[in-house]
Amino acid sequence: MSKKKEINRREFLRKVSMAGAGLYLAGCSRQSPVMLPTPIASAKTATAAPGGPQTEIQNSAETTPAYGDVYLSVVRGEDPAAMTMRAIAAIGGIEQFVKNGADVIVKPNICTDYYPYEYGATTNPQVVAAIVQLCLGAGAKRVRVMDNPFSGTALSAYKRSGIEEAVIAAGGEMEVMNNNKFRKNEIPDGLDIREWIFYQDILDADTVINVPIAKQHGTTRLTLGCKNLMGTILNRGQIHANIHQRIADLTSRVRPALTVVDGIRTLMQGGPTGGNLDDVKMSNTIIASADVVAADSQAATLFDLTGTDIGYIPAAAAMRLGTMDLNAIKIEEFSL
Amino acid sequence: MNAKITRKLRQASQITFFALFMVLFVQAVYLGASPLESDLFYRLDPLIAATAMLAGRTVIAGLLYALINLAAAFVFGRVWCGWVCPMGSVLDWVSPKKVRHGREISGRWRTVKYLAFAVLIAAAGLGNQTGVITDPISILTRTMTTAIWPALRAMVFGLEGFLYQFDFLWPALDVIHANVLLPLFQGIESVFSAAIPIFLMFSVIIALNWAAERFWCRYLCPLGGMLGIFSRRAILRREVSDACTDCGLCARECPTGTIDKAKGYASDPAECIYCYDCAADCPVSAISFPAHAPLRLAQKQAYDPARRDVLWSVAGAVAGVSLLEVETITRREPERMIRPPGATLTDFTKLCMRCGECVRVCPTQGLQPSLLEGGLQNILTPRLVPRLGQCSFTCSACIEVCPTGAIPPITLEEKQHTAIGLASIDQDRCLAWGYDTICSVCEEICPLAEKAIRQEEREVKDLDGNTFTIKLPYVLRELCIGCGACEYHCPAGGEAAIQVKTLPSTEVVIRGI
Repeated sequence: MSKKKEINRREFLRKVSMAGAGLYLAGCSRQSPVMLPTPIASAKTATAAPGGPQTEIQNSAETTPAYGDVYLSVVRGEDPAAMTMRAIAAIGGIEQFVKNGADVIVKPNICTDYYPYEYGATTNPQVVAAIVQLCLGAGAKRVRVMDNPFSGTALSAYKRSGIEEAVIAAGGEMEVMNNNKFRKNEIPDGLDIREWIFYQDILDADTVINVPIAKQHGTTRLTLGCKNLMGTILNRGQIHANIHQRIADLTSRVRPALTVVDGIRTLMQGGPTGGNLDDVKMSNTIIASADVVAADSQAATLFDLTGTDIGYIPAAAAMRLGTMDLNAIKIEEFSL
Repeated sequence: MNAKITRKLRQASQITFFALFMVLFVQAVYLGASPLESDLFYRLDPLIAATAMLAGRTVIAGLLYALINLAAAFVFGRVWCGWVCPMGSVLDWVSPKKVRHGREISGRWRTVKYLAFAVLIAAAGLGNQTGVITDPISILTRTMTTAIWPALRAMVFGLEGFLYQFDFLWPALDVIHANVLLPLFQGIESVFSAAIPIFLMFSVIIALNWAAERFWCRYLCPLGGMLGIFSRRAILRREVSDACTDCGLCARECPTGTIDKAKGYASDPAECIYCYDCAADCPVSAISFPAHAPLRLAQKQAYDPARRDVLWSVAGAVAGVSLLEVETITRREPERMIRPPGATLTDFTKLCMRCGECVRVCPTQGLQPSLLEGGLQNILTPRLVPRLGQCSFTCSACIEVCPTGAIPPITLEEKQHTAIGLASIDQDRCLAWGYDTICSVCEEICPLAEKAIRQEEREVKDLDGNTFTIKLPYVLRELCIGCGACEYHCPAGGEAAIQVKTLPSTEVVIRGI
């Protein structure tokens, strides 16, 4: 029971940084400030920067990535692992998010055991494995990878997706989500739902890394980072009643430190479960940001949409969980 | 060899085979991950082999291992019953402290097991397999699958759930959960409508032990009857030498009560299970098991079935099977009697042994042993109950495990294209159709790449008169394979608003015009 009432470190830091950032921004911004979950990232709080877009398109062969001040990175290429590493390096490196001795949970999308990852319904195993490697390299004590598939068992879906094999080879653990570890938690900032049953380990972990695959979805149009967090809760069916706001509410509670969107094989239709290779487009893109809303808005462009088209993105932005204004943030793009 | 050592060996053998049974039972769900055949005991079971091949009118190569068992009976008699059969071992272990010898039970009861065997063979000859539910391996497998193991799971997980309330225990509990409980129970959360009746049947068999030791093996077991018939020509037979002091200990010890004081402590090789209790405990070592000339028939017993008894049994089988023909299922398949994948391609009810292996391995536990849904003739045969668990799209566990081929050996790809039923929507109860509610669960969950469930859009008005668009699901009959994923996940309360039902007949036969 103590778990509910304690203010954990993250919440403490968030509150402190919120206050600090609020004071800082009070004088210099017309736009609502965005509060990011990690203390490092919160220093880079997005505001509408004067002088318009800061997007820089760089060629990796000529430029070394500028660490630390990039808000969101987009990497295109052929090698998912290298792209993932580059994308994370560009926004400041994994050390920004994973401290020595940290307990890290990586949350990919392993929605069903229907098809292997080539069908674009589950996150690319190499992307997940690369993140596991980075975390361990940064001194993480433990890196667990988990999802709660909605069809088929976790064991079969982990295998089928190829993620289990890749993660274990990279030195991480696959955890089958244990029913005993789901607990009712308050959502203090929730607008529609004020409490829900979450996987307690995900709320308690030092770092949560959200690794959605970008794909079409019948109800929400696209499954992206915020939507991927539906895998951290029970009673998913009831989320559908007011799905966009509720996803935003969940996001406000889980607050992943880092979101890496797998846009390598994008499922353009037939989502979320897929099954037809003709629906899969090779978009060969990895997007990384500490801001899940920004990452989702960027990922929507892979489908020729914008953040405003996907209901939960504006809902999350309105809750100041991130920014959907891609012109207001510093984006770096690379090709490998 | 010293009889005491032989008895120890027998006890070790019972433990080993029971442990093997449990190992096979647990690992049956690790498909492809183990070199062991989970149906090993069925393959060694001549009753299963004989009835399946007779009823199915086919030779099932995988069941020919049972010949080993029959050959063993010709040499060692009912050594299977005493040394191997896990059901027999359970009956040895779960018995009252103060053993009753059943002297008050007429020896004529021993005839029942022979006649039960005759009935099963005759019924199998007529293509009926209902009675095979009395095979001891299937009784134990079925009870373990549907009752004992799930109850054990519920108990263990209940305790675990209690301990998980204490946060400081989590690290230790996580280790136990991942390394012990998950390997043992997998992700399978079992519920069975037949669990209690199946457990009661097992309980009755155990309870009969209180009337007489190994009551089931002595009087009722049809496999025991079958092996008894072959054991009457066994080479190794029990003998009592002149050293016997008439102390009567062996007659009191014998678990099958076949040692007869009145006949100089002689026993019937068809009843003796070679347990060596008598020889090990004989104070003057008067008991041995020497070899006799092969194929010499044992002395006739009063309870050996007479020709007339056998004929009556056959007549009884004919009458019974005829009576089952009166059940309505012979005219019309019930709409919810959905068989495992591929079963429509075989003579399913004739080949199915009610053995429960498919039920055991089904990862969703949608496969259930039926009660009377398909008539008494189909009792304990598997049926898919999609509301409890769908036929998992990427799983072919039941196909791989079926010992008789009643579920035919089709590939996963073939399975994914073989319809076992057809989904239909109850538009009055469907959230989208009936209540203008946005819900795409069935369409989303449909595992087929082409989606057998599609949606049409319709403009509807809410209470304030605002129009909005909802998507209404419909089923494409040409694509639907009846896996039941939609039914399982349908958010309607109670019964689903989309249900899989028996396949429509594809041919229209017009007669007598």
